[in-house]
Amino acid sequence: MEYSENRLADYSDDSSIGRGSIDVPFLLLVLLLLTIGVVMVLSASFARAYYSAATKHNPTYYFTRQLFFAVTGVAIMLLASRFPINFYRRFSGVLLLFSIVMLLLVLVGGVRANGARRWFQVASITFQPSEIAKIAVILFEAQLICRYKEKMGTFRYGVLPFAVVAGIIIGLLILEPHLSASIIIVLITGVMMFVGGTRLIWFGLGIGAVGLGGVIAINVLHYSGERVSAWLDPFADTSDTGYQIVQSLYAIGSGGLSGLGLGNGRQKYLYLPEEHNDFIFSVVCEELGFIGATVILILFALLIARGFWLAMHCRDRYSFLVCSGVTALLAIQVILNVAVVTNLIPCTGISLPFFSYGGTALWLQLAEMGVILSISRDIPEKKFIKPRRKQTANTDKAGA
Amino acid sequence: MLRRTLVLLIVCGIAAFLVLIGKLFDLQILHHKQYETAAIDQQVRETALDTGRGSIYDRNMNILAMSASADTIYISPAEIKMYNEDPVMIAQNLSRILGADYGKIMEMTQDTKSWYKTVARKVEQDVSDAVREFKNEYNLKGVKIEADSKRYYPYGSLACHVVGFVGYENSGLAGLELSMNSVLTGSAGRVVRAKNAYGTDMLYTKFEDYVDAEDGYSVVTTIDRTIQYYMEKHLKQAVEDYGVRDGAAAIAMNVKTGEILGMVSLDNFDLNNFQEVSDRVKEEMAETTDEVVRKTIFQKAQQDQWRNKAVEEMYEPGSTFKPITVAMALEEGVVTEDSGFYCGGFIQVPGDMGDNGRHCWKREGHGMQTLTECLQHSCNVAMIQIAQKVGAEKYYEYVDAFGFNDKTGIELSGEAGSLWWDKELFCNPYNQTQLAAASFGQTFNITPLQLVRAISAVVNGGYLMEPYLVKEIVNAEGQTVSKTEPTVIRQVISKETSSAMCRMLEQVVCDRKEGTGKNAYVAGYRVGGKTGTSTDTVREAQTGEKEYIVSFIGVAPMDDPQICILVLLDNPDEACGVYVSGGNMGAPTVGGMMADILPYLGVEANYTEQELEFMDRSVPNLVGLPVEIAQQRLIEQGLTYRVIGDGSEITLQMPDANSVVAAQSQIVLFADREPSEDLEEVPNLTGLSYDIARQRMGYQALFINTDSRTLYDSQTVVVTHQSVEPGEKVPHGTVVRVTLTDTDTSTNGRY
Repeated sequence: MEYSENRLADYSDDSSIGRGSIDVPFLLLVLLLLTIGVVMVLSASFARAYYSAATKHNPTYYFTRQLFFAVTGVAIMLLASRFPINFYRRFSGVLLLFSIVMLLLVLVGGVRANGARRWFQVASITFQPSEIAKIAVILFEAQLICRYKEKMGTFRYGVLPFAVVAGIIIGLLILEPHLSASIIIVLITGVMMFVGGTRLIWFGLGIGAVGLGGVIAINVLHYSGERVSAWLDPFADTSDTGYQIVQSLYAIGSGGLSGLGLGNGRQKYLYLPEEHNDFIFSVVCEELGFIGATVILILFALLIARGFWLAMHCRDRYSFLVCSGVTALLAIQVILNVAVVTNLIPCTGISLPFFSYGGTALWLQLAEMGVILSISRDIPEKKFIKPRRKQTANTDKAGA
Repeated sequence: MLRRTLVLLIVCGIAAFLVLIGKLFDLQILHHKQYETAAIDQQVRETALDTGRGSIYDRNMNILAMSASADTIYISPAEIKMYNEDPVMIAQNLSRILGADYGKIMEMTQDTKSWYKTVARKVEQDVSDAVREFKNEYNLKGVKIEADSKRYYPYGSLACHVVGFVGYENSGLAGLELSMNSVLTGSAGRVVRAKNAYGTDMLYTKFEDYVDAEDGYSVVTTIDRTIQYYMEKHLKQAVEDYGVRDGAAAIAMNVKTGEILGMVSLDNFDLNNFQEVSDRVKEEMAETTDEVVRKTIFQKAQQDQWRNKAVEEMYEPGSTFKPITVAMALEEGVVTEDSGFYCGGFIQVPGDMGDNGRHCWKREGHGMQTLTECLQHSCNVAMIQIAQKVGAEKYYEYVDAFGFNDKTGIELSGEAGSLWWDKELFCNPYNQTQLAAASFGQTFNITPLQLVRAISAVVNGGYLMEPYLVKEIVNAEGQTVSKTEPTVIRQVISKETSSAMCRMLEQVVCDRKEGTGKNAYVAGYRVGGKTGTSTDTVREAQTGEKEYIVSFIGVAPMDDPQICILVLLDNPDEACGVYVSGGNMGAPTVGGMMADILPYLGVEANYTEQELEFMDRSVPNLVGLPVEIAQQRLIEQGLTYRVIGDGSEITLQMPDANSVVAAQSQIVLFADREPSEDLEEVPNLTGLSYDIARQRMGYQALFINTDSRTLYDSQTVVVTHQSVEPGEKVPHGTVVRVTLTDTDTSTNGRY
């Protein structure tokens, strides 16, 4: 952070550089993953749709909706990539306020499902305010970092404001309750502070505090204790607490090296719960095998690496922070989701970006990608392969 | 800051993914088999769809058991609800078509979470057609018809214990259906289907190819339908005549091959309705209102009727075991056919305390007897002496050699073994009470089949054969898959000993004065055998009442034995009018079977002069003949006549031409006279001798014929059974069939 800090401008000066083109590799990776994801929704959901009265036994019910959201989502993404980053910066505070209001409203007017109020429903479209909160936190905290850039090493500026922002959001999320979203807010705030320059000692203390809190939550409050025991030995109770994870392991394990073939999965026939939502990756593993699943993971890894790479090549601090944060949000969701379905970590409901069924969440994810694409317009170095001559010219420009 | 982003890139973009891919490798490659097996285990449903189950045939390819398609009707309440079908209408129509309870079907339709509720299993084709028509008419998705198969037993109860039956899933529950289940089913009948978590078929996914369908094989048994029928007929008659209370069993075996030709265990039951119990049991159940008691009675009756007495129960063979004692003594050379034995009615052996000893069944003793006479008399005292000559050790070796310590390995489940003394105890020279008891077949237990196998060895030249029920296994095209060859376990006695035993066993039956088995005599055939009467000591101890098991083991023809038949009657009623003994009850039953079976087997009959004289005659057609010629004809036939009227030609005869009547019957000839239309009351012939009975009937222009079995005239041979009940009104000329039994009380005894 020491050497590079001076390189970054506080504000992007769009007037001086002009808007470039969006980053094509990033865009292609998003479209590729999105396409595979929509196809997998069809494969994973048709059995559930067929047997469900709510979908009127239409096997392509979920697919057609997802396809609609994907197509419109791509439009939203491209639209989002048109707005300059300063536009988002300007509205970050308003957006955070909006999401806090929404989180308050959802406690009153939200749809109750599985003992929690997390959704708004308008007609047949549902929407989770927590999704907005995630991006709002990134945009707002990036703004904070830009403001306190010199004082990020102190507790007062480098820790406290972030703790307050995250605390408010998490407090509201716990009222829903919504554990997985809370975890993501914690992690994303941590990432923002990390790239923003908060002293590492606070992370050590933070991790210690979270660990202690976790131990207290499990042992004293018995919250999520079942999930932890099901994680440690899912086969102890395959019919109840371990059911979901055991069915997921059956699906992944039976995929083998090359899988059963697209559409030929068997666990989706009502064995695997949430097969087109949180556990869609299990169906991917079952049908496409180790090879297919690995390819998809590599595509995600490439997308994430490209996201960070773009961040590292940003010319202004705010873009750099937002690009890092959004990429980290994507990475956190992918890694946690796959870790949950493979039973690496205890079960919690985190969806897989571009794959899991869910219209408004997909819109938001694609909009977030649009923000990165918008940022990528301002990066001259974004092209991987280019003549050496031009690269030096660009570096000169950046240095100017 | 950028360095920290680089850290993030490495952690989130590379390291974390390596961990995830590593975990996938662990799950998908290293533990693939384990998870796949567990997943398939829950995803498939095995259905027994065995229209391909093989048939069971008798030895002449008559079908004893076969499968035919039958459908199972079920409803899917979930789909009824899903497609808004009318449960009331469905329930009404199904209950009308299937005759099922409307309320029950309505109740099923309420369980809307269920996708599978069976309404009727294995219905006939016309019924399932009606359901199909109803289903199609209203286009009902919630009513389902599943192809299934049903087992049919064309002969009902015939050989029910051998054939056995199957359960709902068409898998064998008893008899050959059970023991040959894997052969009959083949790898076929099992269809493995992918199912979803609701238990219904997986959409768009066909998993049937998982198992190659291959039809089951058919089993050709050694049972002969006709022989089985004769055996069941005579055994049922015996059970009825002698008031047998605890069931009866009979086994017929080809002595040369070990093939079981017939095997009966009473009570019988209808294989097509094997759950049903006899009317007698139903009456017993009706007497009590206590549901628990009723259930107990019902279940016990089912267990009793399903038990195959011939192989699943042990008993004390009694005197039928004596030929074994004699055979081993002859083989060892310690006695000859002419050896003499004295029976004073009582004997003491080492080990008998004080004045205790054992009596012969004939208290006054049999006096001096040859070896042959010892068997004829069934003399206990002589048997003890013979066994002592053999010696306990040798005796025990022969018991082993005759197979009494091994199960026969017959292809039926639940075969019982035997109860014998420990060898050391048996061979104690200071205590020969076990040897003494064994010599005449008491205080040990064997199965009826073990005895049949051993006696067959005694008469077939000495070869202990392995009894078997499965003659051949054939595939669906009728080609032989495997064939059972007769198996000689070992030769126990020599040919010479065996033929000597045949001579002696024949004397037991054919000696009309002294033979204890004379009631098994069949005119024209050389039948041999041995009687047996034993008490059920266990039950006696329980109830304090003497309960007898009477039996007879018969062999024929004695010049070249082919068939061995054992009949066992458990607990006959002493009040039935016949003295309870193997000779009086077992022997005539076996004799009756032999009289039917030997001609069927094509064994040639050789009648003695006397037998020919007493044989039934066929009445010639005399109508239209001049009176003198008609008279002449009848005299030639060994019949007598009475002419009514004074015409010159016969206008009518009684009985009709081709009727079979007893020798010397007086045929009534009408010459220009009409007979009276009055009905005659059949007299009670029981206890009358052959001659008297014939004459008594002759007065009323009624006739008798016999079973052509006991063809000799003696005051002790009397009618014990008549085919038309006394007092019944019949027209003139009616022929009544009578059964003759020798009731000579001089041979009455528990032997």
